[in-house]
Amino acid sequence: MIKKICSLVLVVLLVLQGGCWGRKELGQLAIVMAAGVDRAPGGDIRLTVQLARPRAFGGGVERPSGAQENNAWVISENGETVLDAQRNLEKRVSRSIYWGHNVILVFGEELAREGIRQAFNFFTRSPTARETLWVMVARGKAEDVLNSHSQLENTSAQSAGSMLRMRVGEPVMLKDLSMMLASKGTNPALPRVELTASGRPQGPGMVENIPQGYKGAQQPPVGTHAEITLTGTGIFKDDKLVGWLNVRETRGLLWLKDEIKRGVVTVPSPVEPGKKISINITRGNTRVEAFFDGESVWFDVWMKMEGTLWEQQSKEKLTNPVIYKAIEKAMSREIENIARGALNKAQLEYGVDIFGFGEAFHRKYKREWASMQNRWNEVFAGAQVNIAVEGRIRRTGLTTNRLSEPQ
Amino acid sequence: MVEKGKIDSTQAILLNITMIFATALLSVPAITATHARQDAWLSSLLATLLALPVAWLTAKLASLFPGKILIEYPEAILGRWAGKILGLLYLLWFIQICSIMVREFGDFMVNAFIPETPIVVVNIIAIAIAAYIITQGLEVMARVNQVFLPLILFSIVLIFVLATPEMDLRRLLPVWESGAMHIFKGALAPLAWYGEISTFAMIVPFLVRPGEARRIALISVVAVGLIFAFLVVGSLAVFGPGIAAMAYPVLNVTRVINIANVIERMDPFIVAVWITGGYIKIAFFYYVIVLGSARWLKLCDFRPLVLPVGVILAALSIMAGDNSLEIFHFIGDVWPFYALFTFEFAIPLGLLVIALFTGRGKDKP
Repeated sequence: MIKKICSLVLVVLLVLQGGCWGRKELGQLAIVMAAGVDRAPGGDIRLTVQLARPRAFGGGVERPSGAQENNAWVISENGETVLDAQRNLEKRVSRSIYWGHNVILVFGEELAREGIRQAFNFFTRSPTARETLWVMVARGKAEDVLNSHSQLENTSAQSAGSMLRMRVGEPVMLKDLSMMLASKGTNPALPRVELTASGRPQGPGMVENIPQGYKGAQQPPVGTHAEITLTGTGIFKDDKLVGWLNVRETRGLLWLKDEIKRGVVTVPSPVEPGKKISINITRGNTRVEAFFDGESVWFDVWMKMEGTLWEQQSKEKLTNPVIYKAIEKAMSREIENIARGALNKAQLEYGVDIFGFGEAFHRKYKREWASMQNRWNEVFAGAQVNIAVEGRIRRTGLTTNRLSEPQ
Repeated sequence: MVEKGKIDSTQAILLNITMIFATALLSVPAITATHARQDAWLSSLLATLLALPVAWLTAKLASLFPGKILIEYPEAILGRWAGKILGLLYLLWFIQICSIMVREFGDFMVNAFIPETPIVVVNIIAIAIAAYIITQGLEVMARVNQVFLPLILFSIVLIFVLATPEMDLRRLLPVWESGAMHIFKGALAPLAWYGEISTFAMIVPFLVRPGEARRIALISVVAVGLIFAFLVVGSLAVFGPGIAAMAYPVLNVTRVINIANVIERMDPFIVAVWITGGYIKIAFFYYVIVLGSARWLKLCDFRPLVLPVGVILAALSIMAGDNSLEIFHFIGDVWPFYALFTFEFAIPLGLLVIALFTGRGKDKP
């Protein structure tokens, strides 16, 4: 009998107990899509968050066309640390701030120049934030960059995340950044983002103001639409931003780090000067080997690239082996040039190893590394790099020679 | 006879694996990497080799005193009083390590998943479930484990298969950079874990074939060693020597899994599986304590002891340390020396030497 009563009580308790202690329903969460960290005057941290507005995400309700709503709410708050600033934000946010779906973390330029270590520890320590969020550095203020919308995605954060997933820029997750900072054989390189004028706004809620100061001479008209744009790479020395790579050099960086996914190489026609041929890179790989003879350090880099010829301005006959060999040679030369561009900038201008060549050296010369690791950037800057590229055109699309030419 | 159940050799091996592995999964890869960096996998293999003598020693002692459990050997070797006292010390030691593993698991849950729940709730739930398991006896515990351990091992394999896109085996290079001394230091923590195999001597009489104790002990240590080495290699390939700074490296590996944006955020699912392992481990040590106490006090049933021991374990698990850092410090820097040079290796070795010299125990193994 007692047993029966006990089990009855237990069953009743089971129904009454909510289950989880710190339970938070979806309706009680403010979901952060993007976070930005800037330097505030006075040494504080300025945290900007892009909060998803669930109602605006749609969910079956037809909206009148042309009346696009803003899907995100962007607010900023100062604090001594990121966590402190988050706490200050909660004064204005009616729900508890939830980091689990954060897609991107953007460092402001000023803060990045002072050092990023002070700004991302919270994201690796807190169990709700993921190590897989994309990290980038803004040209200007992170706050301005996050204050934007995306025409295709729900939020600009998702748009930036998707672009990085497709390897348009140097893709760096928080875990990769931590590893790059922990290693003495490499320095971080983060994708650079900024707002650029991108077509006309689709509704009154979709107008951005591109911040003044860095967008150059072409001042877009008022009422433009701006998208987060990947415009290159920020180079760091340890955790301090020291300079930039442009888009072309970023491609060289990606190729040298063996992160090639796709890309287009354009070479001059071997027959008609001034006309161009474009090759769509489909796959490739890069191998780096370090050498040390007791005095100097040098690196041999082997790159293999395959692509499809997809555009030809000139009229030469591609079916001629001499011609396509010449194009392949030009393609190899161009790839080497692009890689050299990134390499020269890192070696000569900034003197930092962002390619992980130090790691390659470390793996091969573990004894010599001990004495070299603390002055690796200098060693790298003086090292000779030999690049050998094997470019291959595997296919030419749906035509062999030009359709528009009499055969 | 306090315990009437019997377990077969396979069940014993599986139980030994859970008994060692369930908490080794949490922080030990990090402790090992703190010393040996990317050579941590060498440390874990070295620890397996060094643990084989411990396993052999345990089985040897067990074979000398058939029908007796670990805490009764001292009595048979050293005489009534000294033996009783040493037996009591063993029991206290089991209480200590059991409370620490309860705390370790509680810290893990609170740190990573339920930050707002008081740890005492988590600990009491763990102990309550373990208490229920052990009142059902050894046989039931072994069968529960037989069901869950394959699931746990499958989840581990699944994690590392899904994490392969994030892996780069070059992160394990250069090999042997940290040097022999650091690799040895890194081996101490896993060795202390593998040394928990000495607890196996508490259940040897309940095997269907106690004569297979040596084979069981050796196979268990080798199996755990290989599983652990696999974990270390996988974590190193994902994060490199950086795992040293992580509280729970294997959890971090789970968190970075992302296959095509569809298979991601696996950690709650995976951890649900690990928890069963942790509970079985806690139940095993809990069982050893109540069984040992019952035999030490010459009771005819261990079940009346379950509740009081549970209360003691719950209280001690809270008192074990002020914060998780203290626990990390204990299991990283104190525990390996403490465990190996007392109850896991040194004392059994002393007992065996005395037993062989004085000719106590069964002569032929």
